[in-house]
Amino acid sequence: MTREPLWFEGREVPVLEGDTVASALFRAGVRTFSRSLKTHRRRGLYCGTGECPNCTVTVDGVPGVRSCVTPATGGMRVRRDRGWPSAEHDLLHAADFLHPLMPVGFLTKTFIRPRFAWPVAERMIRRTTGSGPLPVDAPITRTVSRHVRCDAVVVGAGTAGLSATLEAATGGERVTLCDLFPIGSRVPPGPTLDAILELEPIARANPNIEILEDHAALGLFEGPTVPLAGPAELVEVHPQHVVVATGATELHPLFPGNDLPGVWLGRAASAMAALHGVPVGRRVVVVASTVEGMEHLHALVAAGTSVIAAIVPAAFVDEVPRQTEAIVDGELIEAHGRGRVRSVLVREGGERRRIACDTLVLSMGLAPRDELARMAVGEPVDVVGDAALEVDEPRLGGGYLCLCEDVAVHDLEQAWAEGFRSVEILKRYTTAAMGPCRGAMCARALACFARDRADVADVRAGVRTTSRPPVRPVALETLAASVHEVIEKRTGLHDVHVAAGATLEWSGGWKRPLTYGDQREEYLAVRERVGLMDVGTLGRFLIAGRDAMRLADAVFPGRIDDLAPSRSRYVLALDEAGYVADDGLLCALDDGSYLLTSTSGGAERMEARLREWADRLDLHVHLLDRTSELGAILVAGPRVRDLLHGLTDEPIEPATLSYPGHREIVVAGIPCRAIRNGFVGELAFELHHPRSRGPELWGALLRAGEAFQVSAFGLDALEVLRLEKGHVYLGQDTLPDDTPDKLGLGWAVEMTKPWFVGKPSLERLARLPRTRRLAGLEFDHAPADAAELRGVPLTVGDSIVGRVTSSASSPVLDRAIGLGWIRSGDEGFPTELRAGSTVGRVVPTPFYDPEGARVRG
Amino acid sequence: MTLQVPCPNCGSRPHSEFTFGGEERPHVPRDTDTGLPRVLVPENAEGPQRERWFHAFGCRTWFTVTRDTRTNRIG
Repeated sequence: MTREPLWFEGREVPVLEGDTVASALFRAGVRTFSRSLKTHRRRGLYCGTGECPNCTVTVDGVPGVRSCVTPATGGMRVRRDRGWPSAEHDLLHAADFLHPLMPVGFLTKTFIRPRFAWPVAERMIRRTTGSGPLPVDAPITRTVSRHVRCDAVVVGAGTAGLSATLEAATGGERVTLCDLFPIGSRVPPGPTLDAILELEPIARANPNIEILEDHAALGLFEGPTVPLAGPAELVEVHPQHVVVATGATELHPLFPGNDLPGVWLGRAASAMAALHGVPVGRRVVVVASTVEGMEHLHALVAAGTSVIAAIVPAAFVDEVPRQTEAIVDGELIEAHGRGRVRSVLVREGGERRRIACDTLVLSMGLAPRDELARMAVGEPVDVVGDAALEVDEPRLGGGYLCLCEDVAVHDLEQAWAEGFRSVEILKRYTTAAMGPCRGAMCARALACFARDRADVADVRAGVRTTSRPPVRPVALETLAASVHEVIEKRTGLHDVHVAAGATLEWSGGWKRPLTYGDQREEYLAVRERVGLMDVGTLGRFLIAGRDAMRLADAVFPGRIDDLAPSRSRYVLALDEAGYVADDGLLCALDDGSYLLTSTSGGAERMEARLREWADRLDLHVHLLDRTSELGAILVAGPRVRDLLHGLTDEPIEPATLSYPGHREIVVAGIPCRAIRNGFVGELAFELHHPRSRGPELWGALLRAGEAFQVSAFGLDALEVLRLEKGHVYLGQDTLPDDTPDKLGLGWAVEMTKPWFVGKPSLERLARLPRTRRLAGLEFDHAPADAAELRGVPLTVGDSIVGRVTSSASSPVLDRAIGLGWIRSGDEGFPTELRAGSTVGRVVPTPFYDPEGARVRG
Repeated sequence: MTLQVPCPNCGSRPHSEFTFGGEERPHVPRDTDTGLPRVLVPENAEGPQRERWFHAFGCRTWFTVTRDTRTNRIG
């Protein structure tokens, strides 16, 4: 069957059924798959199981793709990003010949002086090292996250993992089974694959088992929790217990020349020959010291590979095929060659002997992948199969210990000589075991290196380095999976605003109109005629039950017991330290319950606060969040009553609905609770209505207001309106440690109450001098838009004494005003100060209508 | 990554559904002289700690659990 080819550095490479990117490239003659990280040595296919960094290429713009485990598909664009001018002919390979002159830490040691040299050197180093440029322009793919709850998660779907899965599922447990690859897809034909294929259909048929293929377990966290990175999703699994069946990778033997192209681990070579039908070489030497190694030897020979010699233990000598020379108990000393293996040096019975070859296949033992298990301190974890093997210490003959970070044994020796004499600091200094394989291939050897040399008393010097997540490479966009999952809260009038052409912006989880086009006109409508604002974002809570008043009395520092039905009161909420945390408007209802409106952004905090104190004080209170159920429209301006009279017959005169009070009325046939509100400084009613009827009410108000040139207004106009009244925006005008006194809100606190949240702290703080307060400010010669002054430091002489927190040019006052906090100096609080080049004065607030006559009107 | 918090109403749920309320403190600190330090300075125990959690994205209940701050084990 012919398939579409892939593109490799401008040429076509045929793709056959079952090919990985690596097998397709290897068949087409590619031998150098990458250049090493620092010294640009040639690296060819090695582990074949996705552990080592050797086969990483850039596929369709994504760097660091492990070609040996990535299925090839037609049309893929593959290239090698390391090396200049190309990975095949890399002049930077000179670094390898200079390696003796460039010891560990060379860059930081060499370029530390003169200081100006570093930026230049850094640019050069960045270009010559690393594994290719990040795809910064690539389109963002959204990764979703989800949670899975089960009894057991089994990591690894080999024979051990499948057996453990079936055992647990048969016992009635719900099991999640995950594997890096489709089950059995990376296992060459043989008894292991047969066992897997026998168990797989049983597992697939069992309804208690969820199988997640192509999902990499990244770590093991408390809970336990196992995050799995899969195609376009991040799965957080919360099991009762974990089974680690991650198997083992083949031992990475250490001898000079161990990183040359042409040196393969057994699994890679037998898979290439048996699965993909590509001979790995013409003259192959195999070193097999395990049963698995003998399987690989037979697989190679069966696939027609010419194995000229096999180094085997005496026990296996009878199993060596006839055409292969058996070297019994031989020892591999080094591999030799420039750019690829040309010969190997072996010791056979005391004799040294050089064997010419082009390929060396190593199967000399296993290195269990037990990183997950080592992370699980105190968690319910079982380790099964090869991951649980106890293995011999690796031999440290020489060559490259860490392929990912390009650290050779002689680098470690030099680091040791410099005094880095423990495994953890060796790792940090040389960066060994810090690469993409996360030490899977080298951490044991590194520990062994340190243990061999360490002081006997220093028992920690030779312990393997701490196992940390992620144990498998993962893209940042996968880890950031849930950041796109944002809830956009909308009021019932959202579509109305969009249709009106409003500019919408995020505001505390909501999308709210900033302006409908002309901010100044919106402002003037409120001050001179009448304006409408959607305030459906306000938090609305019904506080009911036997202890409703006791809760309000405890949480709010103001007086509550004298609040009569139909009356409202501005309330603060303090934390236990006496600092202002929230505010709102409390409306007493006829039946002894309360309706509380809270700030749009603080609604959730307010609810949590009320519930916490109801719980801590053991009060009998029902709290009902009506925020999403009720819409609210603020109708404000001197002609509000004229407008409302056209829509309602209800009494809304000062005598019947005075400030601050509230009442249920019907407006345009819609039942509303009208709450008198002073935030914008004009006669104003908040009309809280059933959310579904919001557009209808909004339309009726607009139509009835045509005669008065009514205008909708947004957050931008509101900012000026409230600032003219000196109203404080909690969070914008306040700091985390503001007491009511510092904000000029002392009137909202009733210290004669026996207790309220924060009172003990306020009493204590009252004994301290007040050194900071929020003050009203007036500016001369301010910028045309005084809002630019926000955030500017306030100074007296050379010293900073405060900061502007809000500012605006006030159209009705015809001057620049603001709020800001100021610090007292030797002569008390300053009265004259500067904000940049602007002269400021401290003045009393409110700036507009100080007596509040317009609000009460 | 994810701590599982046992909500008395909803069972064990990931911590991202909850708001952490800090160490459990006595209901009403009456002594003003000792009240302030207790409010501002947490015990920060190494080991089992009684602490408050609020199931914000769930049943909206406050409750108290004992968590070992060394192992994150709850209960």
